[in-house]
Amino acid sequence: MEIPYTVTARPDTGLWNAKIGVWLFLASEVMLFGGLFSSYIFLRLGADYHWPVHVLNVPWGFINTLVLIGSSVTVVMAWASLKMRKWGAYKVYMAITIACALAFLWIKKNEYTDKVHHIAVKTKDGTIIEGHFPDHGKHWINFDNVTSIKLSTRESDPEYFLESCTTPSPKFTTPAGKTVSLDDAGLASIREEAGKEPSIDLKAATPLTFKVNNSPFPPFNTIRSYNDSMLSFKDGTVINGKLTDYKMTLQVTRVDVRDVADRSKSQAWTLMGAGWKEAFEHHEHQKLEHAKEHNPEADPYKNPDFVRHALTMEVHTAKPDPSHHAPEGVGELLQSFKDTLFSHAEHNGPVITLDPKKDIAFWSNWLPKWNTYFAIYFTLTGLHGLHVLAGAIVLTWFLVVDTKRFKNDPEHLANRVETGGLFWHFVDLVWIFLFPLLYLL
Amino acid sequence: MGHDNSHDDVSSHVKTYLKIGVTLIVFTVITVAISFIDFGGNNNMIVGMAVATFKASLVCLIFMHLNHERPLIYKVLVFTVVLAIVLFTLFISAHGDPLKDEGFEAPAVPVKTATAHH
Repeated sequence: MEIPYTVTARPDTGLWNAKIGVWLFLASEVMLFGGLFSSYIFLRLGADYHWPVHVLNVPWGFINTLVLIGSSVTVVMAWASLKMRKWGAYKVYMAITIACALAFLWIKKNEYTDKVHHIAVKTKDGTIIEGHFPDHGKHWINFDNVTSIKLSTRESDPEYFLESCTTPSPKFTTPAGKTVSLDDAGLASIREEAGKEPSIDLKAATPLTFKVNNSPFPPFNTIRSYNDSMLSFKDGTVINGKLTDYKMTLQVTRVDVRDVADRSKSQAWTLMGAGWKEAFEHHEHQKLEHAKEHNPEADPYKNPDFVRHALTMEVHTAKPDPSHHAPEGVGELLQSFKDTLFSHAEHNGPVITLDPKKDIAFWSNWLPKWNTYFAIYFTLTGLHGLHVLAGAIVLTWFLVVDTKRFKNDPEHLANRVETGGLFWHFVDLVWIFLFPLLYLL
Repeated sequence: MGHDNSHDDVSSHVKTYLKIGVTLIVFTVITVAISFIDFGGNNNMIVGMAVATFKASLVCLIFMHLNHERPLIYKVLVFTVVLAIVLFTLFISAHGDPLKDEGFEAPAVPVKTATAHH
């Protein structure tokens, strides 16, 4: 069936059909993103922590903004070229638009990866220490004297249990009194005995030792929870024994003492050394002098912007550098541009060792688990990223598949590109708000 | 033709598109730069959103051709804009919520002491 009014206007609406269609769709999209932007407002107003400002990678966010603006220009130029029946120019502009979409997604992918590898630790006194694991995120929990196991029978294979057990060829007794090993035949007999039960209690013939990878990075994370005497794997298997050793090694990039009652006694200085305490006091003093120069009357500690600058410190060297003067204002931006694009300052911080039981109140990578800011960040940019992907697919279709239409019905192709272009501009428009809200303000 | 752009019209628009693109880039630089200057209170948010709204208006008016569209499109968008404004107003009004006022979470103790005195 021929779709009517693809080129000529429908008499009652005065518009070709797809035009009114895409605008109705965009109207619903405004409400969809509007709902999520409202969530952002609500989460930000209700946040019981310091809302992150300038913590994301501003230079890459800025570059992505330029990429999208550029693609908005080229997509409208592609449409204009079609209207002027310039086929060659259309192809070039459309190809650039699609390349921009892919560049945007590639940059976004890198930003997401960085967040997965960014570790934030809240110590027991409220200090926040950020950094990353030097050894590709591997750190081990050692468990020994494990004799009682609740083995999950639901999963196809209790792989986390098997790969972290360091005792060679362990033997177990089932509730029915059978002695089994965990090879294929043993597992089959265990599953038969368990029947429909989701788990089965096993006793180890000799106490077992375990070395479990506590990586927070999916899909390498294996642990659901643990304490001194119990460790629960993601697949549901639970072992009972004794936690013997667990240390976290962290290469520090940033310290935040805004929530510490007595900054001079922050756990950060115990962990990093007294030199860093001096460096921090010097840093805070510099910021204070600077603030007093500008406004001698006001109490700078009542200004959250000052507090954020004075009580958080970027760490870019292995040893404290007292002569270091952190740049202010726009200088900070230029410095971060230089650091981001031309050097790897984030790999130079001091390496500290934390005892999770003694030192840490809570830790996570920069994912929704860390705070509601990252929850709304991933929701908004994830949905926006899907829109970029969808737009790229539609525009690629016009460029690669819909080529015959230029000869047969060029005005229809121009209208199709205008429809796709309207969607693409909307995607740009959402980013125009997302960039300042998530990266800058 | 369903659209009132004749081919000559379009070619005269091309320069405008480029100019708008450059304007958007300039204002992006401005947005980033001024976010590193403290205007105090909520002023950074107000300024930042004002610049973003200006940029968004340029995209809507020029790139999305809302400066010369058929009446029906505007009729659809009036509802969208009004509903979106209502939505945001409702949520921004949470700013006046007394939840964060000092003593909001623990009013019980002083009230009890007061009644004990009477």
